Amino acid sequence: MDTDSTLPDALLRQLIAVGQVDVLVGLPTLNNAATITDVVRAVHVSFTRDFPRLRTVMINSDGGSTDGTPDLIGEARFTEADRVQTSHPLRTLHRVLAPYHGLPGKHTALRTIFAAAELTQAKAILVIDPAGPSTTPERVTELIAPVARGDVEFLAPRYRRHPRDGVLITQLVRPLVRALYAVGLDEPLGAEFSCSGRFSSHCLEQDIWDHESARFAIDLWLRTEAAAERFPIGQIWRPMSSPAGSRATLRDVVHQVVLAVIESLRAHESFWRNANAISELRSWGTDPGVIPDVMPWDFQALAEQARRDIVEITPLLEDVLDPGLFVRVMDNTNGAGPRLDDELWVRTVYGFATAIQHGRAAIDHMADMFVPLYMWRAAAFMSDTAPDPPIAVQSRLDALCDTFQRLKPTLVATWSNEV
Amino acid sequence: MIQEIADALVQSWRNFASAFVLFVPRLVAATIIFAGGFLIALIVKRAIQRALDWMDFDRLTLRSGASEMLRLADMPPADVLIAKIVFWIVWIGFIVSAVDTLQLAPFQGLVEEFFRFVPRFLVALLVLSIGFLVANFLWRATLLASVNAGLPGARLMSGSLRVLVIAIGVVMALEQVGLATSVVLAAFAITFGALMLGLAIAFGLGGRDAARTLIEEQLRAKRDRESDAAPHL
Repeated sequence: MDTDSTLPDALLRQLIAVGQVDVLVGLPTLNNAATITDVVRAVHVSFTRDFPRLRTVMINSDGGSTDGTPDLIGEARFTEADRVQTSHPLRTLHRVLAPYHGLPGKHTALRTIFAAAELTQAKAILVIDPAGPSTTPERVTELIAPVARGDVEFLAPRYRRHPRDGVLITQLVRPLVRALYAVGLDEPLGAEFSCSGRFSSHCLEQDIWDHESARFAIDLWLRTEAAAERFPIGQIWRPMSSPAGSRATLRDVVHQVVLAVIESLRAHESFWRNANAISELRSWGTDPGVIPDVMPWDFQALAEQARRDIVEITPLLEDVLDPGLFVRVMDNTNGAGPRLDDELWVRTVYGFATAIQHGRAAIDHMADMFVPLYMWRAAAFMSDTAPDPPIAVQSRLDALCDTFQRLKPTLVATWSNEV
Repeated sequence: MIQEIADALVQSWRNFASAFVLFVPRLVAATIIFAGGFLIALIVKRAIQRALDWMDFDRLTLRSGASEMLRLADMPPADVLIAKIVFWIVWIGFIVSAVDTLQLAPFQGLVEEFFRFVPRFLVALLVLSIGFLVANFLWRATLLASVNAGLPGARLMSGSLRVLVIAIGVVMALEQVGLATSVVLAAFAITFGALMLGLAIAFGLGGRDAARTLIEEQLRAKRDRESDAAPHL
């Protein structure tokens, strides 16, 4: 990959002026004026207080904010409280503003950050979620340190959640990634991570950046790429940040996750088909221990919506699912309450993956067809576990992971062969 | 007198004999062309069927919705149908050549006519196939988009669109082969125009309040769904 061609001339000049660095912090932003000043100050306090001898740079890759986010980054200054915590910086605190060009989306911002990291030969790269309300200097340091020390090459956050929280993660993404990639990642969709310069250079060389699907797949793809290419992966406890800032609807999110999963499975087919023994990852930070309350939501309304949608799209499901699976799914959705047991859910997920791979319909249509089935499963899970204590719900999540693992051979067998 | 009759009979016999001598080789040639054409058409049919099998054509027709339409019309599967169509085109081509070989006055120019018709027929088949593909794609896309938007009557709307696109394809195909062009076009234009006018009047006048309520409910439901991803992430 030609780094120079990825970077605009103005950014290239700024980076040449910066020279080589040890740590690069990337801030991919889009209208984050509310939180960005605190994030910038936290990064600089971390640089001056905890890495005074390292050469550092912070790069903002902005996607065209209209709320003045880049201006706020340029103008952010230390407060008196910050000065108490820090000594006089030994090195220049570089701050580079780089509006990115090309397809809008986080993948383009990350590509710019990785290209800048390659040019400056950064050894550790941290990408921070600029919307995260809990970014403090300590947490910035915690994310950088294991990679800077060379203990790990990809570090992903993990959160202490209530087991009924984050249903899309617990019912689909986590068990699927765990079973197929044989890696115990808690949060495969997390927005933040840190990685080595070697990993970022490796990613730059891959043929993912110009794909339209990379717009949605990039966070998951980075994690699965690290697993598939056997880069040492670790996890770090982070305080749970509220996803309420998400502007996407559930349908959009599930649609994007399906595209992301399929893109990753296609990219790493040779790896996941043979990956078996699940490796538990080394963890940093302190487990908060206390299980937060689960966010209440109306899963009965979701079940009713899902039931209506499934009835409407029945002819489409009949076309794409195997006959036996289709009949069982329809039987389950005709009952009085939401019901979809683990085994049938996993077979449905694998059935959809196979149908997409075999091109039984356009991938966007398949992703849309999957949405009501996910909604049904989510409602069924919430309904079933309503009276259960967290420990019992956690046991059910573990059992679901085991079911994904147990039925993996069916996906491996059908993925490449039309049945 | 008798001599004249005898001469006429002899002349007639000679004419018949010379015509027969001329005709028999043509008949033999026509028979050979007819039989040989049948064999060649059979071979081409088998080859086409194998090629379609190899290309997994069944799956394509299943996805395009053509299989379902053929099943409803009590027709054979698409690969068998195509092979049969090709068989008949090839064999009819040979039959026409055979008839032309006989040099019968009423059938003069049949070959030219036939070879002018075949390309139009093939284009009509292509138009029809593309019509099925487009209709099925739009049916799926409309159904999913309507369900995602929570619109009532999603299946009715998407099904109507599918029928409409197929009807357009059929009309275009018939026009291509030149079958009752004016009648088909007029019937289609009248039906389509009446349908659209009826819908416009029904929706704009009769259902004005219902339309407003529907749109308001949609917008409200969309607002309600704005942050519904939060508990899932």
